[in-house]
Amino acid sequence: MILTAVLLAVLGLGLVGWYAARGRARLLYTGRGSMHSMPGYHGWHVALWILVPALLVWGVWQAIMPGLVGGVVLASPAAQALPADPFLAGSILAEAHAIAADPSAVAFNPEAQALAEPIREAQTRFSLIGAAIVLLAAFAGGAYGFTRVRPDFQARTHVERAVLAVLLAASLLAILTTFGIVASLVFEAGLFFKDVSPIAFLTGTHWSPASAGGDNLSDKFGAVPLFWGTIYIGAIIAMVVAIPLGLMSAIYLTQYASARIRRWIKPMLEILAGIPTVVYGYFAALTVAPMIRDFAASVGVNNPSTESALAAGLVMGVMIIPFVSSMADDALAAVPRAMSDGSLALGATRSETIKKVLLPAALPGIVAGVMLAISRAIGETMIVVMAAGAAARLTADPFASMTTVTYQIVQLLTGDQEFNSPKTLSAFALGLVLFVVTLILNIVALRVVKRFREAYE
Amino acid sequence: MSKSDWNSPAAARRLARRHAAERRFKLIGLGAIVLSLSFLALLLFIMLKNGLGGLDWQFLSGSDSTDASVAGVWGAAKGSLLTMFVTLLLSFPMGVLAAIYLEEFAPRTRWIEWVEVSINNLAAVPSIIFGLLGLAVFINTLGMPRSSPLVGGLTLALMTMPVIVISGRNAIKAVPPSIREAAYGIGASKVQTTFHHVLPLALPGILTGTIIGMARALGETAPLLMIGMRAFVVTPPDGLTAPTSVLPMQIFLWSDEIDKAFVQNTSAAIIVLLVFLLAMNGLAIYLRNKFEVRW
Repeated sequence: MILTAVLLAVLGLGLVGWYAARGRARLLYTGRGSMHSMPGYHGWHVALWILVPALLVWGVWQAIMPGLVGGVVLASPAAQALPADPFLAGSILAEAHAIAADPSAVAFNPEAQALAEPIREAQTRFSLIGAAIVLLAAFAGGAYGFTRVRPDFQARTHVERAVLAVLLAASLLAILTTFGIVASLVFEAGLFFKDVSPIAFLTGTHWSPASAGGDNLSDKFGAVPLFWGTIYIGAIIAMVVAIPLGLMSAIYLTQYASARIRRWIKPMLEILAGIPTVVYGYFAALTVAPMIRDFAASVGVNNPSTESALAAGLVMGVMIIPFVSSMADDALAAVPRAMSDGSLALGATRSETIKKVLLPAALPGIVAGVMLAISRAIGETMIVVMAAGAAARLTADPFASMTTVTYQIVQLLTGDQEFNSPKTLSAFALGLVLFVVTLILNIVALRVVKRFREAYE
Repeated sequence: MSKSDWNSPAAARRLARRHAAERRFKLIGLGAIVLSLSFLALLLFIMLKNGLGGLDWQFLSGSDSTDASVAGVWGAAKGSLLTMFVTLLLSFPMGVLAAIYLEEFAPRTRWIEWVEVSINNLAAVPSIIFGLLGLAVFINTLGMPRSSPLVGGLTLALMTMPVIVISGRNAIKAVPPSIREAAYGIGASKVQTTFHHVLPLALPGILTGTIIGMARALGETAPLLMIGMRAFVVTPPDGLTAPTSVLPMQIFLWSDEIDKAFVQNTSAAIIVLLVFLLAMNGLAIYLRNKFEVRW
């Protein structure tokens, strides 16, 4: 509470400092060329000197205050009644903290009620101390900054240096995110691979984490059926749908359609890419899957299941169409006009030109686009969660229910189990595999695209 | 009869065959488009048929319930708004600042190359991986409240930022060098040039990219599933740390219900979500058309 108020006070001080320094700089202005920087920069310079040190101190204090409070509370007489068991003591302390924050909370342990008062006292005391230090930092910084409001002071240079630092920090966030992804996946997957050997995980064909327990965990976490399901749905069925439809729409739109039709059709195709995947998933489960089940029954499949690889793959393929189409569009556009003009001039028809000249020339770009599309399809989650099913099996039957890596990640992490069981950790191992595979696909595809572009420049 | 005799019946047949092939090919292309679009039409038709009847005030203002007839979408919609607020607050400034740095200031060093590579890759990482990151870092390491708009917004912000950076860089790149040179010419510093001249001109493009990125985040479900945003919440959330659901998650939860009455609710919620997305994309297109300058 107090610390939040202090934060607002510091912001207010920053505003005051900005106005004061700007006003002072204006008074110093005696004519053209008399000052290095505009008054506004002096204002910003002082405001930064108020805000940055104070906010740094505030953050540090927020981080260390719980430790200080805890130390004082444990030393208080009420804490002598705490049980020796650290786990029990911890839960009582947590409860006491909850009561201290909200007096209406009900205590489960009687000791907690007694501890709440010392905690509140210590919190108030340390908050006041922290507030004093933060305000001191703000005033000291502000005063120092203010003494430098002089005509020859290069306030703009200083402010711009601070701006650059902020810009750099923002762009480093991307690296930090990548690092965070890799670190968390590798760390949790590492814990998993302590129990299950990586070789058993990558080559085993039996997946049943629900029955995991006992010693030979390695037999229960063979992920090959998941990899197969992912490839079958995302890289085979979905691509069988998406590649011809996407490629042919791109060819029609770029080679045959008039500009007016293109202007209307292209955004409509792109709507397909903008529909949320959960909507596709629902559509697959509600409409497509029953249709496929009835079809399977009519062609003589025994007892077809509602969840089928075909339903999920089909809908996923439709979702990917605009993606394939726009990648193919780019690839076709990168082929020099002279090549198709030459072919047409020799008397080839348009379709002959497309088949014999344009497509071969654009092939590397199209292949790269397909790779990117596959990396999207295998990372897709909601459609398979809602339409593909949970059975981990190795089969090429499109009417069978099949499971994928993403489905299992969701399945393993949305139950109510403790976090560090091999079952939940295996989700991170699957995530790591997924991350590495999509990364490789993306890097290779981007490299192919780059080389392909350079070939025609 | 020589081969170059264009009037011979054989040549006429050959030409007719080639022209037929040409028409066939064109028809296949048209068919591909029609097939794709009819799939879209079927999807929209089924959602409208199932859902339109359920769209009434009770549905738009209510929250989740076990009874399909009183369940509504406002609780989830408010959760979505709060989550999007957090996402926008973080990803927009960070994305724009990073784009400015990379496009205008970054030295060509190995470090910066790493930043660029990681941004391009992050834009293509499956969304569920961001969910795993959110679960491991925000919830398990930093102990933030599960299922809250705060954690959901942070996770989606990490996912949206690369999209904003990429579109921002393209918008900044499109501002012609003559603008910068004119500013330098009258004595502006590099920072002044960027913030006073380049950024305002690039802003419409950046905003368009931001809206598209936000629309994608609004429809995203998988990462939020990872961080446990599937709470059954009967009252709209009243803060950034309260447990909540979001629109796509509500659709997912209702689609799992066995009670057939929820089919109408699910479809109606999908209509609401699609209307939101359509409005956002429409706004993006409007902005692009209104403010786009061809140099």
